[in-house]
Amino acid sequence: MGKRIGAGKRGRSPGRTAALLGAGALATGLLAGCGSSGGLKINVYYSPEDNFQKVVDQCNAKAAGQYEIVYNKLPRGSDDQRLQMARRLAAGDTAMDILGLDITWVPEFAEAGWVEEWTGANKAEATQGVLQGPLETATWNGKLFAATKNTNVQLLWYDDRITPTPPKTWDEMMQDSQQLKAQHKPYQIVFTGAQYEGLVVVYNTLVESMGGHILSDDGKSVVMDDGAVKALALLKQVSSSGLTDPSLTNQKEDDVRQTFQRGDAAFELNWPFVYASYAKEKGADISHFKWAVYPEAAAGQPAKTTIGGFDLAVSTYSQHKPQAFQAALCLRSAESQKFSAINDGVPPSIESVFHDDTPVDASKPASADNPNMAMKYPMRDAILAALKDAAVRPLTPVYQNASTVMSKILSPPSAIDPQATAEKLRVQLNDALQSKGVIP
Amino acid sequence: MVMGGVATTGRKVRWGLVDILVLVFALVPVLWVVSLSFKTKDTLTDGSFIPVQWTWQNYADIFQTSEFVLALINSIGIAIISTVIAVVVGTMAAYAIARLDFPGKQFLVGISLLIAMFPQVSLVTPLFNIERSLSLFDTWPGLILPYITFALPLSIYTLSAFFREIPWELEKAAKMDGATPAQAFRKVIAPLAAPGVFTTAILVFIFCWNDFLFAISLTSTTASRTVPAALSFFTGSSQFEDPTGQVCAAAVVITIPIILFVLFFQRRIVAGLTSGAVKG
Amino acid sequence: MSHAVTEAPAETPKKAKPALSEGKKAERRLGLWLCAPAAIVMIAVTGYPILYSIWLSLQRYDLRFPAQHEFIWFSNYAAVLSNSYWWTAFGTTMFLTVVSVAIEFVLGMVLALIMHRTLVGRGLIRTVALIPYGIVTVVAAFSWYYAWTPKYGYLANALAGSGAPLTDRWPSLFVIILAEVWKTTPFMALLLMAGLALVPEDLLKAAAMDGANAWQRFTKVMIPVMKPAILVALLFRTLDAFRIFDNIFVLTNGAQDTSSVSMQTYNNLVKGLNLGIGSTMSVLIFITVAIIAFVFIKVFGTAAPGSDTGGKR
Repeated sequence: MGKRIGAGKRGRSPGRTAALLGAGALATGLLAGCGSSGGLKINVYYSPEDNFQKVVDQCNAKAAGQYEIVYNKLPRGSDDQRLQMARRLAAGDTAMDILGLDITWVPEFAEAGWVEEWTGANKAEATQGVLQGPLETATWNGKLFAATKNTNVQLLWYDDRITPTPPKTWDEMMQDSQQLKAQHKPYQIVFTGAQYEGLVVVYNTLVESMGGHILSDDGKSVVMDDGAVKALALLKQVSSSGLTDPSLTNQKEDDVRQTFQRGDAAFELNWPFVYASYAKEKGADISHFKWAVYPEAAAGQPAKTTIGGFDLAVSTYSQHKPQAFQAALCLRSAESQKFSAINDGVPPSIESVFHDDTPVDASKPASADNPNMAMKYPMRDAILAALKDAAVRPLTPVYQNASTVMSKILSPPSAIDPQATAEKLRVQLNDALQSKGVIP
Repeated sequence: MVMGGVATTGRKVRWGLVDILVLVFALVPVLWVVSLSFKTKDTLTDGSFIPVQWTWQNYADIFQTSEFVLALINSIGIAIISTVIAVVVGTMAAYAIARLDFPGKQFLVGISLLIAMFPQVSLVTPLFNIERSLSLFDTWPGLILPYITFALPLSIYTLSAFFREIPWELEKAAKMDGATPAQAFRKVIAPLAAPGVFTTAILVFIFCWNDFLFAISLTSTTASRTVPAALSFFTGSSQFEDPTGQVCAAAVVITIPIILFVLFFQRRIVAGLTSGAVKG
Repeated sequence: MSHAVTEAPAETPKKAKPALSEGKKAERRLGLWLCAPAAIVMIAVTGYPILYSIWLSLQRYDLRFPAQHEFIWFSNYAAVLSNSYWWTAFGTTMFLTVVSVAIEFVLGMVLALIMHRTLVGRGLIRTVALIPYGIVTVVAAFSWYYAWTPKYGYLANALAGSGAPLTDRWPSLFVIILAEVWKTTPFMALLLMAGLALVPEDLLKAAAMDGANAWQRFTKVMIPVMKPAILVALLFRTLDAFRIFDNIFVLTNGAQDTSSVSMQTYNNLVKGLNLGIGSTMSVLIFITVAIIAFVFIKVFGTAAPGSDTGGKR
């Protein structure tokens, strides 16, 4: 009997070892967690960009010891970024000061009370010289909740050896494509048709270009008017015409880029990042790689292209708001935007930067190693023109719900029935706006 | 080990052919990943299985900053510690469940199954909140504890399946010979349970090594970020381009420890039996 | 020792609750102490999250509208169970689970036999066969994505002609099953092989001498002894298969009705930040999986752990 109890204790020794191991691990972990911190640290949470650290370093140099900006990388996927920030903000995490928000998240974060309003001198500086489209994305309910950092807009890309003059409208584009197909030349029209945000971007562009509306301007009710229905018809027409890539419903931006770059397509609708990639990977043909503004959906009405981009916002749980505002303003200043535009391929949101031709290193002349805006953005006039009359995606706190619902209902585009699909969209978007109903 | 006959050349050839089939089935997609990791950017999508243009650039890129190396260190440390603790704790519990009678046995089995069944995605946010308030967020224990927890159900089930199969007579014989239960366990039972223990160790290690959900949600810096999460932080040349080459190169690099781990342990899975007291 | 003596007069049914012998008490203590670390860790880490999730499923709680947080009993369940997207995803998930687990079981058994009995390169086979399971799931999924996209990949070019398998529902589902089977057959095989290792050679020899052929030896000797290992392998694999996510996410992102219940939960919880609905879906997934587990355990009977004491008495 005594043996049994003894056996019990000895039987526990592996357990004790495990407990010691566990305690040791815990102690190590906790000790490792106690880092040293001297000086005021401003934590910026931003998408991973190769050269953003240099922007941060430049701003730290300018801050001259008042604060130190620390760049915390977020994951590459935008859903992951949003989730990480939302989860921590919902828990009131004070370790985040500046947030890099995709422009569609601003109403959501503002409505949830997670970001601070910009007022006074900060607001003046954040809005000075900013293009209209991007500025709209940073505003919600008449208040400014973020400072625009960079923007993005889609263009029509083509090869001038196949297409000497670019089409002006979607109908023209489809006709040109048919002709090329008959001549056995590359003919496909490629755009992002997978079941995701990219499809919503395309549809939004078509709707706005037709003068229609998906949601009301205040984002509180569903409209889905005539223009929206006509856009559905156009989307269906393009997707079922045999002029698109067979993988259309599985293609995202990079797939579209690669299809065109391989020489399989004639017309590409994509963001300007394709130019830098083409220059790097097919440099010999770059002079034939041309662009134009997005084709018109309704003849005579200039296209209103959906814009993308990032804004910088200050968290309401930040413990150092005044410095956070200052730091954010520096990170998105004209100079920082020019640096990012040239080195990371993200177009600026401040108009003057587009025309600023001084190279990265201002003391030397512009060259391949020391590029300027003109060299990196030969298409800047087209971008500016598109930005002047840009379309924003519906501004509503429940944009993610609406987008998921829309991308599901619009997929596959070839199966759209304009009236029936419009009705489905009306019903389900309504549910999504009430945050009722189940997202597919 | 051979049933009913000698290892004639004919049999060997047949087994050899079967082996080759298995190798092809297992390795072709892996070789495809290796191939993608050696392709240059512009030939990435040319559809050929063997790269037409070879480059080491992807491998160079991932080691350019210390982030990937730190992630590797985190992964190795966290996976090994979690595996050791999970296997030890699981063995103890499995032995008790399989061999002993005590109140709450069914309850424990039920609880561990419950944990294995509940979708982890909705447990992450509450777990995040707990860890934040205990300052475990973004630390090694912050990942080790969930990994142990979610590895225990499989460990317990696998190990108790093994303990069950070991005949009681052995333990009784050992006790008759004067051994204490602990000695009986160590000298008689443990070697026979080795197949189960090493199988469980392999499975737990792979689970901890490849987990993505907890790694991305419960870490925020290189202090504790493991490799699968680090894959999400590689940058392509723009926000729209997936750095496929780098991701594949990283995947190849992180599969190597798995191969080593398995190579080391797979021998021991069957070794236990031949050290053999199991007769009749 | 002492317990053997007290057990001999076994007329009194155990239910009559006599005073426990010292041996039994010590055994219970030992049992409880051995289980304590596991129980403590599991309950401490998951107790609150699971209960909190169930609690959330009874509420209307959208993370972006903290002011609209209210208790609504089972309205979430009604909303989800009456939603056609949920049932489509449910059907798809069931199909994927049943088919992939069935294929994995057969292939896993074959692979286990090969790993156990091959005469040539045993160590190599065992290691190589486990590599698919050891690769990060997302990377493996990407490799299949690239392989099956026309023009990009060797499989599409070789097998799919002019079509794009990942853009149609049924071809996509089969590609997903292929990706799942490739990835997790080693898991089955490993557990089954460890089970195979327990089959006593003497038993097989005896059966052979009694005239049983290979198939009979397999079904009548090996499988019964392997029952516990089979249960573990099938049960855990099915539980995991029902919660398939990574492969679908990378290959099709759930397009063309290939979404699974886990993907839908993710969409509602992460994209919609709707904790109420997301938790409801989690609980429903859990209930489904619990029913499956219950069925398994009933079918396998005494092979479940802890259900009998392995011939102790």
